[in-house]
Amino acid sequence: MAARTKKLIAAIAVLIACAISVSALQVRLKADTTTAQRGVGANARIVSLVPALTEMFFAIGAGPQVVGIGNFDNFPPEVKTLPRVGALLNPDTERILALRPTLVATYGSQTDLNEQFARAGIKTFVYRHGGISTIFQTMRDLGDATGHRAQADRVVRDLQARLDAVRTRVKGLQKPRVLLVIGRQPKALREIYVSGGQGFLHEMLEIAGGQNVFADVLRESVQPSQETLIARKPDIVIETHAEGMFQTSDVSGEQAVWSALSSLPAVRNRRVHVLIGQYLVVPGPRFAQATETLARTIHPEAFK
Amino acid sequence: MTLSATQLSYSYRQGPAKAGRYARKTGPAEAGHYAGDFALRDISVSVAPGSLTGLLGPNGCGKTTLLKLLSGVLKPELGSVRLGEREMRLLSARAVAQQIAVVPQETHPAFDFTVMEMVLMGRHPHLGAFQLEGPSDLAIARESLIATGTAHLAGRAYMTLSGGEKQRVVIASALAQKPKVLLLDEPTASLDLGYQLEIAALLKQLNRERGVTMVLATHDLNLAASVCDTLVLVREGRVLMQGPTNDVLTSATVQQLYGVIADVTFHERAGHMTVIPVRRQ
Amino acid sequence: MSDAISDAMRDTVALDNVAAVRPIRARLVATVAGFGAVTVAVCLLAPLVGSTQISLTRVFDRSIPFANNVDAQIFFIARLPRVLSGALVGAALAAAGVVFQALLRNPLATPFTLGVSAGASLGAMLVIILGVNIAAGSLPAVPLASLAGASIATAIVYWLATPYRRAMSTSVLLLAGVTLNSFFSALIMFVQYIADFSQAYRAARYLMGDLDIGSFDPLVAALPLVTVAFVAFATLPSALNMLSLGPDAAATRGVDVVRAQRLAFFSASLATSAAVSLAGPIGFVGIVVPHLVRLMVGVDHRIVLPASTLFGAAFLVVCDLAARTLLAPIEIPVGVVTAIIGGPFFLWLLVRRS
Repeated sequence: MAARTKKLIAAIAVLIACAISVSALQVRLKADTTTAQRGVGANARIVSLVPALTEMFFAIGAGPQVVGIGNFDNFPPEVKTLPRVGALLNPDTERILALRPTLVATYGSQTDLNEQFARAGIKTFVYRHGGISTIFQTMRDLGDATGHRAQADRVVRDLQARLDAVRTRVKGLQKPRVLLVIGRQPKALREIYVSGGQGFLHEMLEIAGGQNVFADVLRESVQPSQETLIARKPDIVIETHAEGMFQTSDVSGEQAVWSALSSLPAVRNRRVHVLIGQYLVVPGPRFAQATETLARTIHPEAFK
Repeated sequence: MTLSATQLSYSYRQGPAKAGRYARKTGPAEAGHYAGDFALRDISVSVAPGSLTGLLGPNGCGKTTLLKLLSGVLKPELGSVRLGEREMRLLSARAVAQQIAVVPQETHPAFDFTVMEMVLMGRHPHLGAFQLEGPSDLAIARESLIATGTAHLAGRAYMTLSGGEKQRVVIASALAQKPKVLLLDEPTASLDLGYQLEIAALLKQLNRERGVTMVLATHDLNLAASVCDTLVLVREGRVLMQGPTNDVLTSATVQQLYGVIADVTFHERAGHMTVIPVRRQ
Repeated sequence: MSDAISDAMRDTVALDNVAAVRPIRARLVATVAGFGAVTVAVCLLAPLVGSTQISLTRVFDRSIPFANNVDAQIFFIARLPRVLSGALVGAALAAAGVVFQALLRNPLATPFTLGVSAGASLGAMLVIILGVNIAAGSLPAVPLASLAGASIATAIVYWLATPYRRAMSTSVLLLAGVTLNSFFSALIMFVQYIADFSQAYRAARYLMGDLDIGSFDPLVAALPLVTVAFVAFATLPSALNMLSLGPDAAATRGVDVVRAQRLAFFSASLATSAAVSLAGPIGFVGIVVPHLVRLMVGVDHRIVLPASTLFGAAFLVVCDLAARTLLAPIEIPVGVVTAIIGGPFFLWLLVRRS
């Protein structure tokens, strides 16, 4: 056979192979669409990649419908037995599809994933990061998506009441300047990340009766230099970390690291607090509890 | 100072050979190697002071290896290389470089050195650990440049020179080492006819005027015949014959060495033996 | 006038006019003095500039207790260590770049070509992401892990590239280093992939470099390593000139090639390891500075090495200055600044060459 003919046959074979695989994919996806029409309410099957949303699902009563969670979800304790399907960077599409979900909670940046689910006819709930009002709205929207709106509203009212209680407690008290540290290298004052003037952490801080020293930087997360930290002179330093790198057993060791910046009023007055717990950093239903913790830390005298 | 090699053997295989599927057992094992591993076997050569010796042989015969052994760059497996009475193995690279300089076939610096910098590098063996070149070193460098007719190139970048100019600069760099022995590996291989004659004349002049002993590895029979007074014929890692050029260079030896039938005659006008190849055997 | 005499005169005139014939001692002294003055000036002025206004009189006012003196704290805790670490890291990376370029006989080699930095970064990643906590007492984990990773990478490359009793082949060295680089980089990518969002961000941020060390401790810890490396560097320049002609050409000019190659490899790897452990992998310093210096002073390593050391220090301090002042209070990572300068620089070099 002539070389040219061989090449032609090879090219056609490759094209046919491509066409077959593409259509196979379509067939599979079409099959899944039929199952997606069912499954609302008690028949819903929910997969959540976002820790905050996982907590919300359970808080509004949709817990029994959750069949799969992300790699970093740890609350409530019931989720520990559920299958894990990846997270922001490495969602396992096959595993998710194998769970036959009717609703998948994803990150906004996971555009490819969201498109895949749209083509498969699976409903997605896209997580938006924002302030406290966003948290409340998200819970209401989740309530709508899962048929638990009434309970969602109850949870929101409950949280708002708790926040109001905190506001009342600290009302009239002088607002100290607070540095809210959300990340750094263990045992070193390097790679320090703090809360800027935007986002739920900043709002929690303000409700708890503190004044964010970086309120003027309109970003959720700021990485200040040593110089900037010294120049801003915070009265109180609060570190919030999830469990993991920072051990509850060594809080005093981590606090001691700040003594290098001895000109900070927080260091001089021994107002450096290292708080460890996932509830402090997840913008979910436990944020009110976190706000209470912050208030207790900033204004211990108001909680005697 | 006589440069001599005694019962020299060298293998490029690293470390002792293992008797495996690929060991070529073409003879008894020596020093852990099999006979087929050796690039050079049992070579004895003596270079008289002030002589112009040519190492002749076909490609792959081992003449470059022999040159590297004579310069101390390679260390022999068996046998020894001596400079005068001292074993070269026991001398430091610096001590050897004060006596012996090498002109390789090609020199490719990785950076854009000037001609002067290249030549001054030849002074390195004579400088102390942190010593910089002084006026006397500069004078020697200048003199070497003048001797090779490259003084007008002193400020030029080496890489911008022509092939012949580059080779002359490298020779100047070797001369700056003030060596007693100069080893040259195919010095005219990449040069055109004009430059070939120029280099040949330069070498003869340097040998005559400065008494520098020279050893030339080449496969250019006519160059060897025109320049060298002694020849060493090397074939497959062994010495075929060595002695004065006129005695050693004959049709018979050329045929043995290259498998080529050639006319070897004394050419009156050229003033030396010439080799005209006629046909392959 | 006979031909021979006029030739001789022409040659002498040519020789006398050539700048390269100027004695090297004079050139070396002039270069070190010139670059040294610039570097000292930069290091003295840099701590005075920053995102916050400070007053020099307050900084040195002894009557105010240090714990209350904000200006002094900014100067001595925030800025001075930062400037000094910039100088140390810049000097170390630039000098290591020069040495590696000579060892590998390739002007495009960098201190990171042979995988030392990838090893250091991998060590740091393992701590940041997997939380492997190897902290020895009060020494922080990330720099220690970086140093360990860099040492392992160095050892592997050396073992791969050193044949029994003979000189290193530069092509084998390059191949071993590049292979290790790719392998470690792949591991780094994998570790980042399994990280959670904030860890992945922190890992990415680490790779951009950070000189804000906040105290003199990391500097003091890195200093012995860099000092040992520089003591070795001081003995190398002559040998480097000759090594760049090739190992055989170097040997025939009296260089102990095996010893020189080993010394060059280990000292340059040590300097790079220390620099990356201190400040993360800051790129482009190790290649831009040697090139710029060669454009200014020629290619003799006896001048290029000290000049690059000094210029590297000044260069990185200036880059860091730009990083912390251009968009204050937001800081640009210093590795980004060096890359922004380095990229176009190489484009220009390329265009110029063609």
